[in-house]
Amino acid sequence: MPGQSNKAHLLGLALIAAVIILLPLSTTNGFYLKVMFLIGVNYLAASGLNVLVGVTGQKSLGHAGLFAVGAYAVALLTTRAGWNPWVAFAASGVISGVFGAIIAIPALRVKGPALAMVTIAFGIVIEKIVSEWQDVFGGQAGIYGVVPPSLFGGVRLGPKEWVWFVGFLAILAHLAIRALVNGKYGRAFRAVNTAEVAAESVGVSVYRFKVLAFVVSAVTCGLAGALIAQQNQYISSDFITFGLSIFFLLIVLFGGSSIYGPLLGALVLTLLDAFLARWPHLQHFTYGALLLFALYVMPDGLSGMVRNTSRKLFPAWFAPAALARETSAWRLRADEVAAADLPLLKTENLYKAYGGVIPTNHVSISIKSGHIHSLIGPNGAGKTTLLNILSGVTEPDSGTVEFNGRSIAGLPANKICSLGLARTFQNLKLFSNMTVLENVQVGLHSRLKAGMLSYLLSMPRARHEEVSTYRESLQILELLGLKDKAHELAGSLPYGLQRRLEIARALATHPRLLLLDEPAAGLNPQETQELIQVISQIRDLGITILLIEHHMDLVMAISDHVIVLDYGEKIAEGTPSEVQNNPRVIAAYLGVDDDLDDLENSAPESLHDKPAGGSHVQ
Amino acid sequence: MVAILQAVFSGLALGGIYALVALGFSITHTTTKTFNFGQGEFLAVGTLIGVSAVLLLAGKDITEALQVSDVTPFRYAMGLIASVVVLGLLGVLLYYTAVRPFVRFVGMAWVMSTIGFGIIIQNTALAIWGPTPIVLPSPLGDEVIRIGGAGIVPQEILVLVASILMMFCMDYVLRKTRFGKAVRAVAHSRNAATLMGINVSAIVVLAFVVSSSLAGLAGMLVAPITTASVFMGLTIALKAFSAAIVGGLNNPRGCMLGGFLLGLLEALVGLWQAELREISIFLLIIVVLALKPEGLLGQRQVEKV
Amino acid sequence: MKLFKRIAVALALGSALTMGATQAQDIKIGYNADMSGTAVAELGLAGRWGFEAAIEDINKKGGLLGRKVVAVIRDDLGTPPKSIQNMTELIDNEKVVGVVGPANSGNALAWLHLPQAAKIPVVGAIGTATEITTRYAKEPQNYMFRVSMVDREQVALLAAYAVKASKNKKIAIIADSTGYGQAGIKDAVEVLDLHGIKPVLVEKFGPKDTDITSQLTKIKNAGADAVIIYAIADGAANVVKSMEKINYNPITLGTWGNLSTLYFRMTGPKLAPNLIIAASTTEDTNERTKALGERVRKNFPTMTTFVCAAQAYDAVTLLAAAITKAGTTDGAKVAAALEDLSNVQGIIKTYNKPFTKTKHEGLGVDDFYLAKWTEAGNIVRFQDDIFKSITAADLKR
Repeated sequence: MPGQSNKAHLLGLALIAAVIILLPLSTTNGFYLKVMFLIGVNYLAASGLNVLVGVTGQKSLGHAGLFAVGAYAVALLTTRAGWNPWVAFAASGVISGVFGAIIAIPALRVKGPALAMVTIAFGIVIEKIVSEWQDVFGGQAGIYGVVPPSLFGGVRLGPKEWVWFVGFLAILAHLAIRALVNGKYGRAFRAVNTAEVAAESVGVSVYRFKVLAFVVSAVTCGLAGALIAQQNQYISSDFITFGLSIFFLLIVLFGGSSIYGPLLGALVLTLLDAFLARWPHLQHFTYGALLLFALYVMPDGLSGMVRNTSRKLFPAWFAPAALARETSAWRLRADEVAAADLPLLKTENLYKAYGGVIPTNHVSISIKSGHIHSLIGPNGAGKTTLLNILSGVTEPDSGTVEFNGRSIAGLPANKICSLGLARTFQNLKLFSNMTVLENVQVGLHSRLKAGMLSYLLSMPRARHEEVSTYRESLQILELLGLKDKAHELAGSLPYGLQRRLEIARALATHPRLLLLDEPAAGLNPQETQELIQVISQIRDLGITILLIEHHMDLVMAISDHVIVLDYGEKIAEGTPSEVQNNPRVIAAYLGVDDDLDDLENSAPESLHDKPAGGSHVQ
Repeated sequence: MVAILQAVFSGLALGGIYALVALGFSITHTTTKTFNFGQGEFLAVGTLIGVSAVLLLAGKDITEALQVSDVTPFRYAMGLIASVVVLGLLGVLLYYTAVRPFVRFVGMAWVMSTIGFGIIIQNTALAIWGPTPIVLPSPLGDEVIRIGGAGIVPQEILVLVASILMMFCMDYVLRKTRFGKAVRAVAHSRNAATLMGINVSAIVVLAFVVSSSLAGLAGMLVAPITTASVFMGLTIALKAFSAAIVGGLNNPRGCMLGGFLLGLLEALVGLWQAELREISIFLLIIVVLALKPEGLLGQRQVEKV
Repeated sequence: MKLFKRIAVALALGSALTMGATQAQDIKIGYNADMSGTAVAELGLAGRWGFEAAIEDINKKGGLLGRKVVAVIRDDLGTPPKSIQNMTELIDNEKVVGVVGPANSGNALAWLHLPQAAKIPVVGAIGTATEITTRYAKEPQNYMFRVSMVDREQVALLAAYAVKASKNKKIAIIADSTGYGQAGIKDAVEVLDLHGIKPVLVEKFGPKDTDITSQLTKIKNAGADAVIIYAIADGAANVVKSMEKINYNPITLGTWGNLSTLYFRMTGPKLAPNLIIAASTTEDTNERTKALGERVRKNFPTMTTFVCAAQAYDAVTLLAAAITKAGTTDGAKVAAALEDLSNVQGIIKTYNKPFTKTKHEGLGVDDFYLAKWTEAGNIVRFQDDIFKSITAADLKR
């Protein structure tokens, strides 16, 4: 986030750099230097793992395997292949990254305990390979003579130099990860963590980001392994245990998910391990008790507790930046607006069945740009399924969908979103742990062009994009009357505003066509009126709208065109009044008295009250 | 052929142990979406308690060794009961200190806390019993029984019979009794279950009691084969966990299937190439989960969009 | 968390202060071995109490060079990273003058270079991997010594017996898959080769496996009538039990780890005597061993492997003798003195020139004999005609 926190951050960084430089000079005790080195190594491993576990929410219990990949890569490259140790070190990071991508693939499809299992299995397979395949990896006897990097003139790194080396790497890792996590990538990771389907629907490729998170964590863990192998000049399969995977995970969980979590976690747990070693029972008890109670006392880990206490002691530091005063109203670019009255979306014979249930039974509809269309029908008629097919959440069994001249049936949801089709959800899927502003910023994700390297290195392009994202998000919030809530957590908003936020987020994707799934559900009459205003505004911006609704007054008030589904089939379409008087439609609703009454009651008056609706009817 | 038969026997016996512990994981997961990451330590501690009970009943100190004659079926049964009871109590303690405070939290806090609890009891056990494995002679003797040329010891038969019996019991209770229905209701939706008058807290606590007791039972059954020690539970728990996930974590029958499958696979692959045993099992697990994430007998959790 | 941090800092400070207080006068000797982590923990624990008993006795006699000797004990949990960390702590932080350890050979291989570079003598008392004392044999001064049943020498005895006893000269080796078993296989294959014999099969099994029938069936089918088992107590016990399962009764030889009572309890009285074991000392060998055994049992009632306690005691005794002879604790001088000791009374034997420039093993095959468990649970020497016919020439290594 911009502003004062940057200054504070630089100051803190300078302080830590000073400590890293001066501390090793203050002692000749090899043991202390070794402990400092270990803190750095553990921090490195945990910093990447935090991106995977803390930020993206993918819990891995197998990262000892990636540590092993890095360690053995550098060992084999320097001892068997005679590579230069610096090159081998860098290469081990790359190789670990590749393995991270490998483990990501099976991990993509599974969640929760199954994900834990896949990562555990991976870790164990690697552990067994390096201990059983003794010809290559040396098993428990290990590989010794691993060549460490040396300075000019063949000067070997001594204990102090190792501390400086790992400290340098730690600072680099910190800067890179911080830059990544504070921008578009970080928001995307967190979106994937909170609500995958929603993330996908606003253009975040969940697949890509999970793989990316795995790769980042693999690179840092692999480099940590390489450091250990090179500093000890020895590696054996005894270094690679399930306990190591747990240890890394615990550093991350104990430290907390903030960017400073790994630092605090690594510091405390390494020191504990080293300095209580002379009293093994005490050490184990302390470790166990820490694990048992720490998260109860500090739910977001050590860094969370530090942040909360600092917030109480120095509230000024944490006050969010004042919101910029935006004067220009939000609008789409000219090329993003479709010419009016052309067929924007067309489906032909769309069919989807789940066993004996057929929610979409040869449905053909056509959506004209610039208009507001509604999709109505009794419960279970298949409206949401149709929406899911259109937005790419579900794949149709047969039939075609053409959007803006392209066939989109079967495309992934994030691709469809980038083509200009956005949606909201019947059961709200906000990124509730993120702020209102951030939710909208995630919506802009697919429109941002700066690549990962740009963000990692904090290049101007990325920084400019962050600024424009910030500005545009505020504009969108302003449009929907949510600007003053920008820095509040999305999950803390009242229900009606949450619904509006979801619309704001969808707008941020610069859609040509916006699908709204029961936007008025749970709203009171006044909120429903406000919604009608909002929808009209959106239409005026040039966005075509298709909405599913049960609130007949809403439907009849604003729709230019109504489509009626029943039992998966389209049974009628036309202007609101045409549909109201259609006997098939009335029959479909028979027995559902409320809707029938709404249907009758919302007839003549609304038509006359809303000139917009009237003038559009052809 | 004889070798394969031999492998099948030992595989089934070991599989029975995995199945029992897997059931333990399943029960707590279906009711609370958590499991005891310290299950291995529980298994070890329960077994040590059971063994000590047998020693005490035989009039010996807990640091002495057991002779074959000391382990009568009665004493063994008492030891088993002691193990099951103490672990059941420990399970209650576990629930209240390590699980309940964290159930509301999103994330993996309960993973850490159950690991921590396991470390504490392991360390306590280490202080009491030390690291030396303790031999528990089988109450049924050590005479090798030959079936079709393959040798099997009576204890292995006991393990098989006991675990299958236990599983039929659990299956029956879960499917046919009112209590079992209540457990399944809680698994589905705690709120709905409470509204129906089911005492959700009691059921959840009971789930943890049963889960921990199963670990104690498994440990006492396997100890005459492998010896009892502070570290005996770790690989068993890991493999049982894998068995549960592969079979279907929320499906008790899946857990049983997973346990036996894993045990058999381990033994048969071990026959072919001992070193590839664990690698092949865990690779297979990755493949199964990649194709069917919910496990072989599991049910797909469809997220309503 | 702040509380924990405070405690940790206080402990660290406290220990730093006490360190400062003791450092001035006392001589520190370190013990770095597994005492709670892996299967060899019980060996490490037995060694620890032997180690401490020796230091107690030295202090009773007035200490070393007029100074008190302090035992610094570190548990390495059986893992190399922890063992390395302990070694660094002992050398750099505690400033020990010598170290006894480890229990797991693999751990020694991981930290060898540290005491060697720091010129601190190490006298191993348990870990038997041959390489531990040979890696730096070509250096001007090798700082690694050992008083234990080094693998090479054990294998020499076992192989000599096997070669003589086998009727069809088909000998098989079965070992556990740990570093210990791995190294043992290497030694065994090489020694058998010196006898002109290639093992008919080499099989491996996991250290915790209870059913080893499949590997043994392969060995049985290959026709081997002698089998050398390279594993420690529970592994070897499982092999013996599995042999019974498939009705296979070859001449079975095993290493010193099977002197552990755990082996006896696992196999039971009936099967235990099936194994011929290489041994160097047992609790009832003489008065000294009996006394030490009782002493150690006070602290460690469930002790299984007495020989480790005896070896650790002797390791300290030799180190102390060298320090006395050198008149200083300077590492280089103590190491040189170790190579020139005479007439040092230990628990196992009286040591005369136990170490030389080229030989850093305090015990050799001449100190070993074969033993067996009796059904009553005692270890007795095993001296059949075959054993008696073994000459020095047969003990090829």
